[in-house]
Amino acid sequence: MTLLSVQNLNVRFPTGEGTVHASRDVSFSMKSGEVLGLVGETGSGKSVIGQAIIRLLPTSASITGTIAFNGQELTTLQDDAMHALRGRSISLVPQNPSGSLDPLVRNGSQIGEIFIERGMEKKTAWEKACDLLVTVGLIPSDQIAKEYPHQLSGGMRQRLTTSIAIAENSHLIIADEPTKGLDYQARETTARVLSGIKTRDNASLLLITHDLYLAEHLCDWIAVLYAGEIVEVGPATQIFARPRHPYTQALMRAIPKNGLVPLEGQSPSLMAIPEGCCFADRCSCHSEVCKMIHPDLNQEPLIGGVRCHHPSCS
Amino acid sequence: MPSPVLQLTGLSKSYGHGDIFSGISFEVGSGKTIGLFGQSGSGKTTLGRCIMRIEEPSSGHILMQGQDLARMRPGKLRELRPSFQMIFQHPEVSLNPRMTLADSVAEPLMVHRGIGMEEALREIAPLIRRVGLRDEHLARYPHQLSGGEVQRAVLSRIFSLKPKIVVADEPTSMLDVSVQAQVLRLMQDLQKETGVSYVFISHDPDVMSVMCEETLWIEKGKGTLYDRFGFLERVKTQYSGAVPT
Repeated sequence: MTLLSVQNLNVRFPTGEGTVHASRDVSFSMKSGEVLGLVGETGSGKSVIGQAIIRLLPTSASITGTIAFNGQELTTLQDDAMHALRGRSISLVPQNPSGSLDPLVRNGSQIGEIFIERGMEKKTAWEKACDLLVTVGLIPSDQIAKEYPHQLSGGMRQRLTTSIAIAENSHLIIADEPTKGLDYQARETTARVLSGIKTRDNASLLLITHDLYLAEHLCDWIAVLYAGEIVEVGPATQIFARPRHPYTQALMRAIPKNGLVPLEGQSPSLMAIPEGCCFADRCSCHSEVCKMIHPDLNQEPLIGGVRCHHPSCS
Repeated sequence: MPSPVLQLTGLSKSYGHGDIFSGISFEVGSGKTIGLFGQSGSGKTTLGRCIMRIEEPSSGHILMQGQDLARMRPGKLRELRPSFQMIFQHPEVSLNPRMTLADSVAEPLMVHRGIGMEEALREIAPLIRRVGLRDEHLARYPHQLSGGEVQRAVLSRIFSLKPKIVVADEPTSMLDVSVQAQVLRLMQDLQKETGVSYVFISHDPDVMSVMCEETLWIEKGKGTLYDRFGFLERVKTQYSGAVPT
């Protein structure tokens, strides 16, 4: 059953210098229990999509398109109804853990307050919070629960926000760069916790990341974003084994074990999107048509799609 | 055998509550890279900061071309400072937020050579192009640049002083994979061109194995030295592989 369906999502931010078109005609859907990875470089519009779904974008953002969650349209939902969904049906692991935790609240209470709000006894809530700390590898949990966020390292704070997101058995968890800056061991623990979401009843995970190893390991489907649009989408195994878009191919080559081959040049400004293919300037396969005509994302069921005039060219 | 550019013997650092690390010894030759690998909190950044004398080591020696940095007076240290430089993990706080990129990249030459802004900018211009920045970047402030652009600017700042040793503290851990490849390749190219030696700090085994001939694995305050092959073998046995490498 389709849990989330995003259709033709456009997000624009007006600024003094012009309009930033951060997300352009993004469409995808997710079934219950599925893990979809949004990958791409910084500024490609990954986080904006996650924020648009959970409706945490600044009010200055102009949003068009539809976001249906369990059949309910989120873009037009009343604020109080959206508030009721957040944290219960849809949870977010935010990208910036330091800015997401209350510095004056003990770590245990950061998690525990969720249960207390649902009417649980304080003592039981504290115990449940400690259990969750153990789940994300924050031990000794008794001691860490009594401490404050500033007493934790960046990686530990990241795992604390993950534990808050999984406290409620949400149907959809949006994890925004959950392994950024984490060391190897902490990354393994986070990967285990996130893959636990997969095995839970009907829970889905939207993984926003530039950690390609993590994406390969966890995701069923991958959507590759470039300059605010999806340039390739498909089953994770296929994207990693046989990437078709020249940008996806370049991303794979940039991984250290694949040769650390840098992709030269820069992505276009989101205030001045080129008429043709956004990647043409950095693409070794581009032809005249690429500069003039914007390619469509030709999607086929089970295989996915690629937005390129010359797919699999290199 | 040529003498090492940097040689640490029995370096230790402790705070009130105990040792961060003790008895750390290694050496690095000209144009070579040694890695410092370990988990968050293992002390690898503190070790890097001790080499730079941003923090005071508790005991031991840091020999840079025969001179002991660990015991050097501040005046002499300042004279030698251009020879050993550091690149930090967080690009967003690496540069003064109130200075334009032009001010930031010219600053080291102005401070250490006593020259004016115009002359400094003229001298650094080829290096700015070398790291892939354009004139349009120079008028911008750090918050108007991407993480990769800031790290390039930091590299041009550092290399304007023709350093012999650069301590690189997780220079790409906050960057995405394609920008990481750009910055690391640039560091490798600059090493080939200038013969600089790197002390490369990272918690990413893949990056480590690409960048470093030798790696010091820091664990419980002690360091064990591995060559590239030995390091990868240890990584394979140490980690269960929940996230495959």
